[in-house]
Amino acid sequence: MNAIEFRKVTKRFGGFTANRDLSFSVKKGSIHGLIGENGAGKSTAMKVLFGIHPADSGEILIEDRPVRISNPVHAMKTGIGMVHQHFMLAGPETVLDNIILGHEPGRVFIGRSQAEAELRSIARTYGLDFERWDRPVSELSVGEQQRVEILKLLYQRSKVLILDEPTAVLTPQEVKDLFGNLVRLKEEGKTIILISHKLKEVLGYCDEITVIRRGETVGTRKAAETDEAELARMMVGRDVSFTYQGERKVFAVAEGMRPLVRVDKLSIESTTEPLREVSFELRPGEILGIAGVQGNGQSTLLRALSHPAHHRARWSGSYQFNGKDHSESDPIRLRNAGLGLVPEDRLSEGLLLNQDMTENFLLGQHEDPRYSKNGFLLRAKARAVTESKIKEFDIRPPYTTVWAGRMSGGNQQKLVIARALDPGPSVLYIAHPTRGVDVGAIEKIHDAMVQERNRGRAILLFSSELDELIDLCDRMLVFYNGGVRAEFARSEFDPWTIGRVMGGGDR
Amino acid sequence: MKNSDQLRIPHSIRSFLRSVVGAIGGLLAGLLICRFAGESPGKVLTVLLNSSFGSGYDFGMTLFYMAYFILAGLAVAIPFKAGLFNIGGEGQLTIGALAAAWAGVAGAGIQSPVLAVLFATAASFLAGGIWGAIPGYLKARRGSHEVITTIMMNFIAAGVTSYFTLYVLKDPDSSQAETIPLSMVFQLKPFAVFNGAPMGGLILALMAMTLVLHLVLRNSVWGYRLKATGENETAGSTFGISAPGAWLSSMFVAGGIAGLTGLVEVLGNSHRFKIGFSADYGFVGIAVALVARGNILGILPSAFLFGVLQKGAGSLDLETDKVTRDLTYIIQGLIILGVASDGLWELPARLWRRRNA
Repeated sequence: MNAIEFRKVTKRFGGFTANRDLSFSVKKGSIHGLIGENGAGKSTAMKVLFGIHPADSGEILIEDRPVRISNPVHAMKTGIGMVHQHFMLAGPETVLDNIILGHEPGRVFIGRSQAEAELRSIARTYGLDFERWDRPVSELSVGEQQRVEILKLLYQRSKVLILDEPTAVLTPQEVKDLFGNLVRLKEEGKTIILISHKLKEVLGYCDEITVIRRGETVGTRKAAETDEAELARMMVGRDVSFTYQGERKVFAVAEGMRPLVRVDKLSIESTTEPLREVSFELRPGEILGIAGVQGNGQSTLLRALSHPAHHRARWSGSYQFNGKDHSESDPIRLRNAGLGLVPEDRLSEGLLLNQDMTENFLLGQHEDPRYSKNGFLLRAKARAVTESKIKEFDIRPPYTTVWAGRMSGGNQQKLVIARALDPGPSVLYIAHPTRGVDVGAIEKIHDAMVQERNRGRAILLFSSELDELIDLCDRMLVFYNGGVRAEFARSEFDPWTIGRVMGGGDR
Repeated sequence: MKNSDQLRIPHSIRSFLRSVVGAIGGLLAGLLICRFAGESPGKVLTVLLNSSFGSGYDFGMTLFYMAYFILAGLAVAIPFKAGLFNIGGEGQLTIGALAAAWAGVAGAGIQSPVLAVLFATAASFLAGGIWGAIPGYLKARRGSHEVITTIMMNFIAAGVTSYFTLYVLKDPDSSQAETIPLSMVFQLKPFAVFNGAPMGGLILALMAMTLVLHLVLRNSVWGYRLKATGENETAGSTFGISAPGAWLSSMFVAGGIAGLTGLVEVLGNSHRFKIGFSADYGFVGIAVALVARGNILGILPSAFLFGVLQKGAGSLDLETDKVTRDLTYIIQGLIILGVASDGLWELPARLWRRRNA
């Protein structure tokens, strides 16, 4: 039996067709992958299913019966539940209250003990138990918060669970736990739809995979009968390489070549993620990778190096940028000294979501003499340059008037990277350049980075994707517990050794 | 993606048109209520329009009220750009007015009218600005929520102005709670055509100021900093825009502009500071800014609308049998509701989509 079936579903927004005759079916009790590039129409399809946007034509069958879902409440009643990429949780409230929100037992007073008993049994069935149900959600790790979202769906007796990019925010260990849980849910008879970019994950855990391109179904494959190359080709419409294929210029790194960045015994006090006596040099024409399991000091390092003034009270050690001391600079001064920055989280740190592309392009460049004069912005100039960047980086939709919040993740990231590269920086700090970005855009972004390196610029690359670091970097520093645990040269790159060091082991 | 309705009409113009239609809708609903109260809507509208536009004096008074609302509205709209909700307009404007009265006493020796007005303007702006900057500083430094601190600053302002009025600047020849009157050089001349209504070139100056502020906030680096901070403080900070700087500067400017009420009230109208001169103008300013949707230029029509209603309120009370002053507040409320019920605009589109689904 099919849990869900789409039959020629079409959804238009104005003149734009987000889904065109989309057809696929999801078998009951399976894990079904739904993949496609950003903007391919995966999310729209799920929103149609969830009743957020009614379809313009076509029909949807649930358990082989045609249904017309008019709103999300109706969808939940039909047994469909969704975990959004950005969790919908009330931070200060407890785990229990978040789960029962909207479905509180009891007539006048909330029957919390009854709910807790019920939840415990659900949790035990699926192996998702919590030690304490009365902890505020904000104190939980991202992985635990995701578990709360899943429990919420189970509490609502959802039979079909849709997960939108569930692993984008998780650590490798959490990813493993998540998939363990999903397999268990499947064994208990639930149906799971997994929206993802990560081909390895869908191949590893899904039973079937449907590929969507430009709003249309390209095809459905059994995971056992396909591979990464085929899926990528289906997604992008052409062959895609997973490693950087372009020219990689060889520099004779002369000993004593003046480093562009020199960090010496840098320590930052922090209760959550301190930095302990970190020293390194970044030379022209190299990509230096910063590897490590999330939370081992990499975030603090990036924030400290891009905004030293903000960390003044907790700072010790020295920081030279282009030969000058910058241990008290703010981002504007560093930018003027030649820094391009791609922050860790483009949504919260990199973009103004309710502003158009030009305004976003100006962020951090608003005091650049090219874009402002006598305290006033030269907006026409900024708009013209933004337009040229849209062409250069193939940013879509190609209009400067589009709000950043309405762009897909990959295009948002291209905008952030285009902005970082605009000043013609001598140094780039780039974090998670391809997080939540589809394969086609990844190529483009990686290519831009290596081009910059080949021009003799220095890049400090922070990434949680070891494959990406191994592919691009000339050297790599592995962070553990706030310090540099080991340094690897390109010739020594070996995922197993590096992985062991990331976990605190020795090389 | 081609999102046609997003691209065709500029957001600001669409937003303005919606506000106008919303305001008219609110007014119609108000007139309907008057009908139920037993008064003909035609008569209510006639009285309202007559009272605001009927004579040179009436129109002058409408503009006089508008002047208060421009200042109070701007005091809310400017910090709003930086993500702050300034409830302290009332305190900032009373302090500014008191400072104007003080300037009259302190600058008693000034002979030139130009110098006198400049001096009083500077005093009003600075006093109001500092009053606004205090909550801005507390927010920047300590993270104190500006809604709480600005409300408290209103109470403190009331106490401070009473003290100065009663003990420091008290007019010995008056039995009222008011300060020493200003000399002639400090007094602003009204237009003769307004037939005694206390409003002159000042209203033009305030309109010009609003236009300049609009251009500055839209095109300057400072305006960009406020916007970025209001939009996403973390992203701003990551790229070198200091949120505390935006908060402090926007609150200083907002307070200073509220303080310019000293020009309207003290230099233009009563020529002294009187306790309780403000009919909660500072709070009405919140509604003015709301109807303008935080758009700086939108403050002008919005303030004008509120000026009309303020002027009409008294006349409706006197000239109709059933409609009281309170009813004009109901009309005001309905207009705000009409403008604020933004979501309704999406309804026709949704119904249309559903029918065609």
